[in-house]
Amino acid sequence: MTYPTKLPRGGVDPPAEILVPRGSGITNAAVPSRALIPLLQHAGKTALCLVKPGDRVREGMLIGKADGSRSANVHASIPGIVIEVRDHLLPTGELCAAVAIELGGEFDTSGKPRSRREWESLSRLDLLDRIRGGGVVGLGGGSIPTHLKLAVSPGSSSSLLVANGVECEPSLCADDALLREKASDMMEGLRICQALLTPARTVIALGEHSEDLVPEFERLVRQKAMKVDVAVLPSRYPYGHEQLVLAALGCRPPGSESSATVLNVATLYAVFEAVVLDKPLFERVLTITGSAVRHPRNLKVRFGTSIGDLLEECGGLGSEAAKIVMGGPMRGVSIDSLDLPVTKGTSGIIAFGGPAALKKTELPCIRCGSCIEACPWDLVPTRLSKLVRVGEAATADREGLSRCTECGCCAYACPSRIPLVAVLREGKRALRGSDA
Amino acid sequence: MPDARDRAGRAASSLMPAPHIGVRTSAARMTWLVSLCLLPAAGWGVFLFGTPALIVLAFSIGTAVLAELASTLPFGRFTLRDGSALLTGCIVGLLMPAGAPAYVPAAASAFAILVVKQSFGGLGRNWMNPAMGGVVFAFLSWSGPMSQWIAPRGGTVQGAVVPPLEALRAALAAPGARGTTPLAVLSNAGFRFSDLDSRVLGWINSHVLAPLGTALPPGAFDVLVGHVAGGIGTVSAPLLLLGAWFLLSRGIIRWHLPVFYVGTFGLLAAIFGGLGTGQGWLAGGPGFHLLSGSLVLGAFFAAPDPVTSPLTNRGRCMIGIVLGVLTFFLRFFGSLGDGVAASIVLGNCAAPLVDRWTFRRRTGHQEGTA
Repeated sequence: MTYPTKLPRGGVDPPAEILVPRGSGITNAAVPSRALIPLLQHAGKTALCLVKPGDRVREGMLIGKADGSRSANVHASIPGIVIEVRDHLLPTGELCAAVAIELGGEFDTSGKPRSRREWESLSRLDLLDRIRGGGVVGLGGGSIPTHLKLAVSPGSSSSLLVANGVECEPSLCADDALLREKASDMMEGLRICQALLTPARTVIALGEHSEDLVPEFERLVRQKAMKVDVAVLPSRYPYGHEQLVLAALGCRPPGSESSATVLNVATLYAVFEAVVLDKPLFERVLTITGSAVRHPRNLKVRFGTSIGDLLEECGGLGSEAAKIVMGGPMRGVSIDSLDLPVTKGTSGIIAFGGPAALKKTELPCIRCGSCIEACPWDLVPTRLSKLVRVGEAATADREGLSRCTECGCCAYACPSRIPLVAVLREGKRALRGSDA
Repeated sequence: MPDARDRAGRAASSLMPAPHIGVRTSAARMTWLVSLCLLPAAGWGVFLFGTPALIVLAFSIGTAVLAELASTLPFGRFTLRDGSALLTGCIVGLLMPAGAPAYVPAAASAFAILVVKQSFGGLGRNWMNPAMGGVVFAFLSWSGPMSQWIAPRGGTVQGAVVPPLEALRAALAAPGARGTTPLAVLSNAGFRFSDLDSRVLGWINSHVLAPLGTALPPGAFDVLVGHVAGGIGTVSAPLLLLGAWFLLSRGIIRWHLPVFYVGTFGLLAAIFGGLGTGQGWLAGGPGFHLLSGSLVLGAFFAAPDPVTSPLTNRGRCMIGIVLGVLTFFLRFFGSLGDGVAASIVLGNCAAPLVDRWTFRRRTGHQEGTA
């Protein structure tokens, strides 16, 4: 086992609010009677719709075809009949075409044993094809098609491959649950990526709260005769961020270009499913938690399931929910409709209860410097926000505004409750506007 | 299920940007806690100096609050809840002698709030600590009333009442000052400490220190517990440190600035303080200088004011050193009180410069863009 060589600066330590009981495992969510599957669940352009109302679809059938390099395939998550294809609002506020499927017919694969395919004999191109075909995207948050990260030009090899098991957000523990239940399969996914990237070094980075899994992973490494280090990183937010994981592993300063590849463990599991089980990405594990949820848990959810159904499955809302958030508490999007569907990028759902989550009145900046200490990117958020507010976004840009990843640490730490992230985002928008 | 959907419908009104959680503490809470931590020392001052102290505090706090109201209400803002006006009034009053006529604390507070703070845009925009600005204003305007000291309860009065620090200054200015330590100089100059002091020290010296072959000089007890004339809230260093310890332990103030401030000043006083008393190098008696005057109040309650100190801990260390040097020079060679308020005001001016310097690494920006 290796320990981090150099801890990144900054970050915050929100009080542990993991309400999901440890070791409670992953429960399969009920199959929705109706799934609303958006065709934009990835970084690039909306996938091209391949179905029309009235079509019968099978589970895992391709319904959206990748359009452009950063786009990804979209598959049906339930068997049934396409009811309609219409524009639907995403949590981000964008409109995008979505396919509504009404459950019906046979489950082709679910509940039946899947045959494992031999993959070692496959060519590099075939492997990448299967990953691309399966619509695999980064499940850690970026939703960038995974094959892009794995497609290095022949001859060149990556210096470092990291399996990122450090939870990206506080309160979420779906990655941890996956590591506990699917360690072996995840490692197989890592082997596939090793075969593609031929990295000089491979590391599995675990969060502090998964530390007890280290012996298990070391056993798996020996069993599969892999060359992999297991590292434990502090469970401080946002140390699960790609660049910070690399920094902690002594790779290079955050923000710089590197030939290292970081893949979330859930993504590796999806790679395994796509390549070995021939199962496209149409479901994922996510955490449903928050003080307003009666029975918080980790659920394996088919894309297109509505958030309302999932909350109901977790016992419903026990108390008045002040706010419901898609994603984590630090970067998630606050939503106003329970009809929104779960997509590839949904890592969790949090229903905050009580006044803690309500809007607080903003006070003037007292220059306490908390935001500077919290910023993992060495920025001066208070100064940047003041510059943006007086319309000096260009100056803010010179002082590193573009390095801001909107991780939320500054706004979390601010005792004056200044919405620093929102202000900085506004500044970036202003910059884009002036460029155009 | 309709149940949950209903509730979410109501939640719609609270749509807001990430992050959705935040630290418990708030700027207002921090300010109120600082005021609260001044309470023990203020209580001691009121006990020592009686009703006059209460009147000074009432006028300084009352004027600060009224001035804040007068300068914000017309613009439709109500800012008393952030606690900063009350804190300013508090510190102004605590730095005053109890015998100051009521118009002095009132004018100092009004100057602090109206000129130093609100004319620059209120909380967070003032570049000088309001309380310190107000006190320096009072010093410069009414040096006579600002020396209306009142003898502490149970103190021995002989002639004019003066705090030990002022007495030391006077003694050293007179020809023929002698003594190995500040306290010895005071004794030789005929400064009278309280009977309590001599009783307590007599007991300690004969029962505890005599076997060890040492003795505490007269006045050690009075100076340590603050049983002397002086600013209402500045006399009791132990009670101030108690409050400061609470603030430090809760992370409301950072240790960097106060520790570097007190450390630098103590070091300079220890090294060079003896030169004035004819004792030469390294014979300064820093204990006396650390405990008298408003150093503790200034270093732990006024100088770390986040608004007027640098943004980074590195910068705070630098300013701490600057303040220590300034206070040393102003106290040993200056004429404006004990040098604390004046040096904090001067140090405040340097904060933006220090910020600019410590940021260069972070922001990577070029010369001339700060």
